[in-house]
Amino acid sequence: MLDPRAFRRFQKNRGAVFGAGLVVLLVLFAVIGPMVSGHDPNLSDFTGGRDPSGSIAGPGGRHLLGVDPLLRDSFSRLAHGARISLLVAFFATTLSIVVGAAVGLASGYAEGTRAQSLDTVLMRAVDVGLSFPYLLLVMAIGAAVGETTIVTILMVLGLTSWFGTARIIRSKTIQVRHLDFIMASRALGQSTPAILLRHILPNVAGPLIVIASASVAQMIIAESVLSYLQVGLPPPTATWGRMLLEGQRFYTVAPRLVLAPGVLIFLAVLGFNLLGEGLRDALDPHED
Amino acid sequence: MLAYLGRRLLWSLFTVWAVVTLTFFIYNVLPEDPARVIAGPQARPADVARIRTQLGLDQPVHVRYGRYMSNLVRPPPETKDDAVWKLGPVRIDLGVSYLKRKPVTQLLAKALPPTLLVGFLALVIEVAIGAAAGVLAAMKRHGVLDYGTVGLTLVGISAPTFLTGLLLQHFFARELKLFPLDGYGQTSAEQLHSAFLPALTLGLYGAAYYTRLVRDEMITLLKEDYIRTARAKGQREWLVIVRHALRNALMPLVTVVGLSMGGLVGGAIVTEKIFRWPGIGSLSVDAIVERDGPVIMGVVILFSTVVVAANFLVDLSYAVLDPRIRKR
Repeated sequence: MLDPRAFRRFQKNRGAVFGAGLVVLLVLFAVIGPMVSGHDPNLSDFTGGRDPSGSIAGPGGRHLLGVDPLLRDSFSRLAHGARISLLVAFFATTLSIVVGAAVGLASGYAEGTRAQSLDTVLMRAVDVGLSFPYLLLVMAIGAAVGETTIVTILMVLGLTSWFGTARIIRSKTIQVRHLDFIMASRALGQSTPAILLRHILPNVAGPLIVIASASVAQMIIAESVLSYLQVGLPPPTATWGRMLLEGQRFYTVAPRLVLAPGVLIFLAVLGFNLLGEGLRDALDPHED
Repeated sequence: MLAYLGRRLLWSLFTVWAVVTLTFFIYNVLPEDPARVIAGPQARPADVARIRTQLGLDQPVHVRYGRYMSNLVRPPPETKDDAVWKLGPVRIDLGVSYLKRKPVTQLLAKALPPTLLVGFLALVIEVAIGAAAGVLAAMKRHGVLDYGTVGLTLVGISAPTFLTGLLLQHFFARELKLFPLDGYGQTSAEQLHSAFLPALTLGLYGAAYYTRLVRDEMITLLKEDYIRTARAKGQREWLVIVRHALRNALMPLVTVVGLSMGGLVGGAIVTEKIFRWPGIGSLSVDAIVERDGPVIMGVVILFSTVVVAANFLVDLSYAVLDPRIRKR
């Protein structure tokens, strides 16, 4: 499915390798961070959380990155935040890609055939979906569901973000559909689902991977925006957006409370964006 | 041509209707009792029930939907004139806010100018920076300037608006004291002054996208025959760029400006929250936190209409600009 030349092109692209490195570091931080921090992210440290002058402990010493105003270990909270960000972003992207690819494949394969009406209906649905004020909708659902959990957040994010993917995959499917080997397998009597899955899907996998990588970046931002606007996961769960919001009031005394989650969000998004662009250039080389 | 436009207009109306309907049902079938929210957590069940009847929330959801939709375009006769929007013969009535006890149309009308002010300034910043940086990068292809610009745009795209917003606020307002920290201001001069930082926050983000688009578009266009002809005529390079290439690069960019409306909306919510800007973004965040259904519906209707109208205008401009589409 993937060309070995693509891998070589990817390796030569410094930006892409840097992005991949950032992503790997981030995943390591999310997986190992909470284990090595040695502190509960939601537990206030009343004994060691203050420095000799009585203000909250800064970086170094007992708490690697200091504590927040509620005397909770910042490193541990950041690492748990990374876990939530990545979990939500990964599963929401998977959901969005699966739905988007299914709709795009069906719609593109039906276009111009007897099943044209299927294409029309699906694409009109996509038009409607793209006209939704998406963040607003996510917030409204999140608020109305009441108890917001990781599952509701990733469902809402995943199910409201597949419209663009469907459009792109539809146009790729239309391009691939008329190639000779598709005609051949149809002439040989292969069923439509088999053709879609075995022959067309691998040919649109390149764009899908690229979209997925960019989508993870978008989802990380979306999750942190929801948390920042207080409609994401409820406290005391450590999320980057929430930490940023809580740190804001203390910006003048402890800028690290805002900068640490902010910079992490930035690096995570940058990493996935670079990775996505590197993948795009590697999988779909355009001649200069 | 007319048939094409008519069809597009019908689909636009259908899209708005679908968005409104979906939002209504999503909001109304979810387990959330606005009456309980209005009455407060301590209220007696009898009071909650009374409020529920007053607001008509005891009716089944399809009845409420029918009433909402018919009120939308045909307000009951007792509705005051300042509570509706008049679009020619049509009077748009969006109902009354549960908590603010004011017509939603009035709330939206009050919140719209601040948002438009910031949105317009942001668009100016976005297009100015984007066009200039994109053209420069395309001209110095594979040079330091090009790689620097592309790198910076990646940073711009990856930086979440709440981080840039907070940093700009800290640096320009708190440290340098060049701009107010937040808020709206009384006079127009004050308003323009305090609009700058939120606009810059949104504009920088948009500029990052826009720069890449202009750059890619220019790189393709600079390879065209007519550019070579212009150069061969001995025309100065900047004239070639501005008169021949940039002009043509602007056409696909119409789409982007239209499509970025949706993005601006999302960014506006966060930016308005950071700078305590009394616009549509703040109104909608408040409405969602307070579970104020009519206001949420009003904002959704307004936003989706703007997005659909922008798309319609983009298609229209294509039809006018591109003779191939005119024929369809």
